[in-house]
Amino acid sequence: MHNFDGNHDNDSSINSVSWTIARALSLVMTPVSWLNKLVIAISKQLAWLALLFMVIMILLQVFFRYVLNDALAWPDEAARLCMLWMTGLMAPFAMRTGGFVAIDMLPRALPNRLAQVLTLFLLTLSVIVLIYAIKFGWKHTMGFGGNFASSSLKLPLDWFGMDMIRLKLRYVYASLLFGVTFLFTVTIELILRSMITLMVPNFPLPQITSPGTAGAN
Amino acid sequence: MLVLFLPVFLFFLMIGLPVFFALLVAPGLLLWLNGQERDIALLYRNVYNGMDSFPLMALPFFMLAGELMNRGGITIRLVEFSQALMGHLRGGLAHVNILSSMLFAGLSGSAVADTSALGSTLIPAMEKNGYSRKFAAAITAASSVIGPIIPPSGIMIIYAYVMGESVAALFLAGIVPGVLVGAGLMLMVRVLADKYDLPKAERIVKKDITMKPVEYWVSLVLLRINVAGLLVAAYAGVKALLASLTDIDISVDGWTLFFIFLPIAHLILLNIRRRVSQEFRFVCKRAVAPLQTPIIILGGIMIGVFTPTEASSIAVAYALLISFFVLRTMKLGDLPSIFMKAAVASATVLLLVGAAVAFKTVVSLSHAPEQLAAFVITLSENPLILLFLINILLFIVGMFLDAGPAIIILGPILAPVFIDLGVHPVHFAIIMSVNLTVGLATPPMGLVLFVASSVSGERVETISRAILPFLAVEIVVIFMITYFPALSMTIPRLAGFIK
Repeated sequence: MHNFDGNHDNDSSINSVSWTIARALSLVMTPVSWLNKLVIAISKQLAWLALLFMVIMILLQVFFRYVLNDALAWPDEAARLCMLWMTGLMAPFAMRTGGFVAIDMLPRALPNRLAQVLTLFLLTLSVIVLIYAIKFGWKHTMGFGGNFASSSLKLPLDWFGMDMIRLKLRYVYASLLFGVTFLFTVTIELILRSMITLMVPNFPLPQITSPGTAGAN
Repeated sequence: MLVLFLPVFLFFLMIGLPVFFALLVAPGLLLWLNGQERDIALLYRNVYNGMDSFPLMALPFFMLAGELMNRGGITIRLVEFSQALMGHLRGGLAHVNILSSMLFAGLSGSAVADTSALGSTLIPAMEKNGYSRKFAAAITAASSVIGPIIPPSGIMIIYAYVMGESVAALFLAGIVPGVLVGAGLMLMVRVLADKYDLPKAERIVKKDITMKPVEYWVSLVLLRINVAGLLVAAYAGVKALLASLTDIDISVDGWTLFFIFLPIAHLILLNIRRRVSQEFRFVCKRAVAPLQTPIIILGGIMIGVFTPTEASSIAVAYALLISFFVLRTMKLGDLPSIFMKAAVASATVLLLVGAAVAFKTVVSLSHAPEQLAAFVITLSENPLILLFLINILLFIVGMFLDAGPAIIILGPILAPVFIDLGVHPVHFAIIMSVNLTVGLATPPMGLVLFVASSVSGERVETISRAILPFLAVEIVVIFMITYFPALSMTIPRLAGFIK
């Protein structure tokens, strides 16, 4: 967490009103940022496990089909479930660390101040997209379709003398809803950051470390 | 109204909106202005459905396999092997760079991964040996384009997924074009050797290499198995030739044949062993285990044992096995960070694929693709001229857009036009994939250029100028594969993946 006690020299060219607003914004940002860090820390761990399970399940499928000559029905669907969740879980982290590819020629060519305004505009556009996405995602997940049962995934409770439960598709659909929801909170954090920088360019913001991302290319 | 989708998309892209959001904002905005707010829900569903695919799973797996190989110290082995083979030529390290890229391409399907893995080892080495930094960065970027052309290839997985082609056919079709790009670049290095006054390197065979006994024996066995397998394949070729010319049938059971050839392979290798130095032998032997990966992937796919997704999971298992038990270069504690890196990279790509599928679906409602296709036909009836024009269009698109989204958006629009004109779907797929892959290294917006810049510390603008001669070579190769379909089509045809 960052601190903003008074030991920062106020730039005389920036008036105290800007500083006050920036501090207020930073106060709003702190809990959002805290939430994002928490969610990302947990989902990163879950995402790599999801990838591990994907590998294990497909290898299992290969083993059963070619060695035991007995194709399993569920690894295909289970692995896809893991892939969708891996994507949903990793999306907020990717967004926060700048992993979403963009052409930044224009923002880099513009003077500093103008570039910040443009960034703010682009982030706002993204937030609008995400609000719509959450709205439709909620309907998609909680609506009629989500109630259907998966064709091959079930909790084998019949082993314990209970009824077998088929996994509802809702729990698969929820992966993207999770993704867009926390993409939204991350984008809100980024918007607050860029507003603060716009107010006071040298405001002490906490660093967001970014790992290099490769991609399919 | 909806016809505006492409200009609106490009506008948002150019002002710097992330591609993922631009793909959703453009059709979303137009639908909203058109009062079709209910159709916006379609966008969301298609993002989801676009990602929910079994064939796409090969993408994260190949990324993971590449990441594992790189961390397991496989890159450096490939570089040393290339050095031992080509280091003595004029402009040796440049050739080494290209050959390493070609070998690395067989393990990874990503040009970006190729640039960052090879660039970080080879660019400093080249500088130390008297090459200019911009030349080193440019040749790294230019040769890394081979990564997604030689299989496995992330870009071809995406193309096959969107267009419903066979991944295996595309993979096999990419082999010759990839080798051609490599050979062309080597030729260009030779031409430029005088201009840049490139140093002649000694044959660099690293001294004092040791191998752990496990690796030694595993490599020894693998090598014999592969040579025996090669002999079996050669035998099958001779048999097919004989059968087509005469009616002599010399069928022997495959496994019997294999065990007959195994001792022969051993004798051949013993014979070679006597002629080379101990160091050279060790450097080559250290490359055996890593280079088994492409053989497993391609062999499995070609024989028809694995689907590409299964092959990719086998590649992951093999990479784990090798790094843990044979090379012993990895600890269990390294795994989470490697998996995490692959997971985040896959997630961004899958989201892009989903968004591009959503974009494509909504756009196809607008009849814009039909209009565009009708327009293309008015330009010329001659497919050869149209292919020329389309290559130029794709090249320009590739300058600005990453290959993945470009394929998803333009593939469904362009491919049917050319297939109707008699171009084979796999041939068109290769033209499009190779062209857009080369686009990754073209200024101003080549992803690979930016990676090369961050790895080398040289400015993007400087690398952009130094890369131009190499890009010229790659453009020549694009036109070669466009006008000589046999270059790309022969291998998949022989393997029976296309008729």
